[in-house]
Order: sequence, then structure tokens, then C-alpha cells
Amino acid sequence: MLFGPLRGQRGWCMGRNNAHWFALPAVALLGLFLLYPFLDVLRFSTWDWSGLSEPRVIGLENYRNILRDPDFYSSLRITLVFGIMTLIPFVILSILLALALDGQPYERPIKALLFLPGLVTLGGAAVAWYTLFSPEYGALASVLPVPRWDQSPFWALVLIMLFTIWRHIGYGVLVVSARLKAIPKTLLEAAAVDGATSAQAFRFITLPLLRPAITFLVVIGTVLTLQGYTAVFLLTRGGPFGGTEVLGYYLYKTGFEVGRLGYAAALTVIILLLTLAFALAQARLLREEK
Amino acid sequence: MRWLGHLLVFSVALLVALPFIWMAYAAFIPPEAVFSGDIFGQLGFSLANFEVLGRGGFWEGFWGRLLFSVLLTGGVTLLQLTTGFLAAYAIKEGFKVLPFFLVLLAIPVELLLVPLYGLLVSLKLLDTLWALVLPFAASPFIVYLLFQGMRTVPEELLEAARLDGAGHRVLLTRILLPLLRPQLIAAGVLAFAAHWNLVLYPRIVAGSKELKTVQTWITDLQRQNPADWGPLSAAALAATLPLIIIYLLYERRIVETFEEGLKG
Repeated sequence: MLFGPLRGQRGWCMGRNNAHWFALPAVALLGLFLLYPFLDVLRFSTWDWSGLSEPRVIGLENYRNILRDPDFYSSLRITLVFGIMTLIPFVILSILLALALDGQPYERPIKALLFLPGLVTLGGAAVAWYTLFSPEYGALASVLPVPRWDQSPFWALVLIMLFTIWRHIGYGVLVVSARLKAIPKTLLEAAAVDGATSAQAFRFITLPLLRPAITFLVVIGTVLTLQGYTAVFLLTRGGPFGGTEVLGYYLYKTGFEVGRLGYAAALTVIILLLTLAFALAQARLLREEK
Repeated sequence: MRWLGHLLVFSVALLVALPFIWMAYAAFIPPEAVFSGDIFGQLGFSLANFEVLGRGGFWEGFWGRLLFSVLLTGGVTLLQLTTGFLAAYAIKEGFKVLPFFLVLLAIPVELLLVPLYGLLVSLKLLDTLWALVLPFAASPFIVYLLFQGMRTVPEELLEAARLDGAGHRVLLTRILLPLLRPQLIAAGVLAFAAHWNLVLYPRIVAGSKELKTVQTWITDLQRQNPADWGPLSAAALAATLPLIIIYLLYERRIVETFEEGLKG
């Protein structure tokens, strides 16, 4: 089958050259189902289209409407608030945990545990969170008071923040920890010999050397926050009162619940541009601070 | 200072484990305890929640959906490993296509809902099994991971085999496949988890009953009976356990693969 046409080669030299055929399935599939849709979104964004209807070309009308859409701005604001609320504790916790874990006998099993939530069935995890944290009737509510996140947008965002950190903390710790292990121990020993306290050593040696890892986490975290919607879909569906409608969820809702796919395509383009702008700005900012 | 570190680690570990512990506990709660609201008062053990899951037709009920999802995601994982393995081999053999895959790595798949939907409509694949398979039959991430693994295979080894007259097929199946077993396992678990955890995509492109994934099935149940925790938790546990077991079996490899990837 796949090996058929290659079997009758003359000599290994041809064989080496012919090896490019082996990349064909991956290249073709990814070209069609990843690269092409990625570029095609521009074409869809100029359509007035519900998915079922005949598409109508309307030029830049969708973009004009988005820039006048109050729902877009409110969801942009929610996304930014959520991003700041999540990223700061996420990065700090990743650093602290990586430091506390470094070289401890329990480092391996704890890292394994922290990594687990990122892999397990999302829908199942959401069920566990939902039944555990439901206000009034939830399992925790029978032990201690749980804030009414079904009524307060702020607490709903807190819930989604906790869920997001829960899912990704293992990865964050791994990123910082890998960087931490790359710092030569002799550097810290030399500082100790020169009379630096451990706080000073951390401030002037460890922290600056962790900067690439922190930059990486901040950029990746921003990208994920700007584009994520799964946690919102599973836990709050944008509620209460639209208070957790982050950009990604707004995109899903307008596209597939309201049925305005052209508009959603234009939203996709805008989210991509925002992501790119944010990621570049952060990467530059964090690099220049040196 | 040291004890503060221990305290932090163990309180975070407890909080991370809490939803799992609760999931395992709630799955076996007797139904009466849920309705009386006295969850922790009487310690009971009951399999009633799992019996509820078995009701209705098999193929459209929970167990049928679980089986369907395992087969679907397992198949997709095998496809991804195959296409990725072959592509990594082509790169290893000097075909300069790595930049193409690295660029694709930066494309956020989660944001492609709309154009992918449009593509599937024009290919007439909407609401077919192919909609759940083809877009995931290859992954730039898996290609990258497997290529990283192949880089560690010494060139002399392949050279010697070639001089002995080994063709592509022998190199691939007799030499590289066994050598790359650890990377294939780690990549396979990650690919499995990624496809298994698609939530919105399957709902949009393949919503019909016989194509529903277990993920969608659970979310639907949660929407219909949000107060019926027992069966919900039982379903959550049964759908999560396979992944936990696979992960625990290969945990060391997976974490190491990630750490290696971060160094590169």
C-alpha cells in the first residue's frame, strides 16, 4: 500500500531522496484541514451566512458591525479582566510551587498529580466541579459557605479562574521547573560564598534567570485566555447576566447558537489579530525589562 | 522557610486532588442521600448510580457512547501516530519540511470552528464520522515530538542498515519503531487526551445520536438533570478512569517528554 511504490527502488540513494513521499499524508491532511481553514476564515468573514442559507458577499460590513457592537466590547472587557485575574496568580503559583518542589523527595509524585487535571475528561471534571461548588446545594456548601456564583458575575469569573488554574498548573510548574534545573548550582554556591543571603540569591540570580520561562508562561497564558471558551461553556454558559461571556464564547454563541457564521468568522479574525498584538507586545516588554 | 514550602505544596496538592476524591465518592453515594441533602452524614456505598447509566438502549446510552468514544479516539490516535511517524522519518531522511510543521504549530485550532465548519459543509462531511476523524488525522505537535525522538537515533545505525540493503520499510518497522517506543507512547497519550477532550467541536459538526461522544453525552445529561448528582458523578468517573489509568501507567514518560520538549 503506502510502501508499494517505493519498494522497487534502485539503491539507497534514490531511497533517501524518495523519503519525502512519507511526509505526504501529514502535509496533505494538515494543509487541507488546518492551513486552508486558517486562511479561508478571511473569505468567510466577508459573508452574510447562517451555514444553511446561500452566502451573500457583503465586503467589510461584518467588521464595521463588530466595531459598533456593544456586546463585543463588553466581552472584550470581561476577557481582559479574566485574563489578568487568572494569569497573575497562575504565574506566581507556578514559580512558588516549582521552587518549593525542587529537589524534594516528593517532587515526582506531586508533579504527576498536578499534571493530571490537564489530561482527564473535561466534561467529567466539570461535573465534579459543578456538584462540588454549587452554591446552596453543593457538597462544599454543606460544610462552608460558597459564594453565589450563579448570581454574581464576579464569583462566576473566580470559579472559572480556579478551574482554569486547576487544569493548567501542572504545565506551569513543569515549565518553571525545567528552567530552574538548568541554572548551574555553582552560581548559587558562589553567591553564598560571597555572603549573599538566600533571599538575595533568589532576587538577583534565580529570578532573572527564570525570566525566559516566565515570559513563555505569560505569552502562552494570554493566548489561551484570549481564545479559550471551553471552561465557560461547561460551567456557566456565559452567565449570570452575560458576566462570563469571554470573547471565545461570544464567538461560539454568535456563530452556532445565533447562526451568524459570517459575523463569527470576522470575530475570529479580530481575536487572532488581538492575540498576535498582545503576544508581541508582551514578548517585547518582558525582554526589554532586562 | 522550609516548612512553608511543604505546607504550600501539600495544600495545593490537596486542592488539586479534591475534585477527583469527590468524584470517586459521589459516584457511589446512595440515591437517598442525595435527595435528603445529607451527603456526608451517612456513609453509604451503592452501585445504583451505575445501574441508572445502563438504562435505555445500549448504543445510545452511556456505555455505548463510552465505547464509541474509546474506539473513535483510539483510531484517531493511531492515525496521528502513523502520519506523524512517517513525516518525522521523511524529515530525518533529509526532506526539509520541518518549518512547515513548526508554522502550523502556531495556528490555534480552537479558533478554527467557523472555517472548519464551512469546509466540512462544502466537502459534504458534516454529520458524518469523517468530520470527527479527518481534521485530526495529523498533528504538527506529534510530528514535532516524534522528530525530536528520531534526532537522538544515531545516523551510523541507519547507515549501517542501509548498507546491508535495508529499505524504508525495514528501517521504519525494524529499527525506528522499537527505538521510538517511549516517544510514541507519550505522544499517543497526549494525542488521545487532546481528541478525547474536544467539547464544542463534536457538538457542532456531528450532533446526531449515533455520533455523540461521551463528552457530549455527559454535558447533555448535566444540562437536563443538573441536580441528579449520583448518575452524573458515576458517568464522570467512568469516563475519566480510563484516562487516569493510562496516565498513571505512563506518567513518567509523559512528564519527561514534556520536560525534554521544553528544553529544546
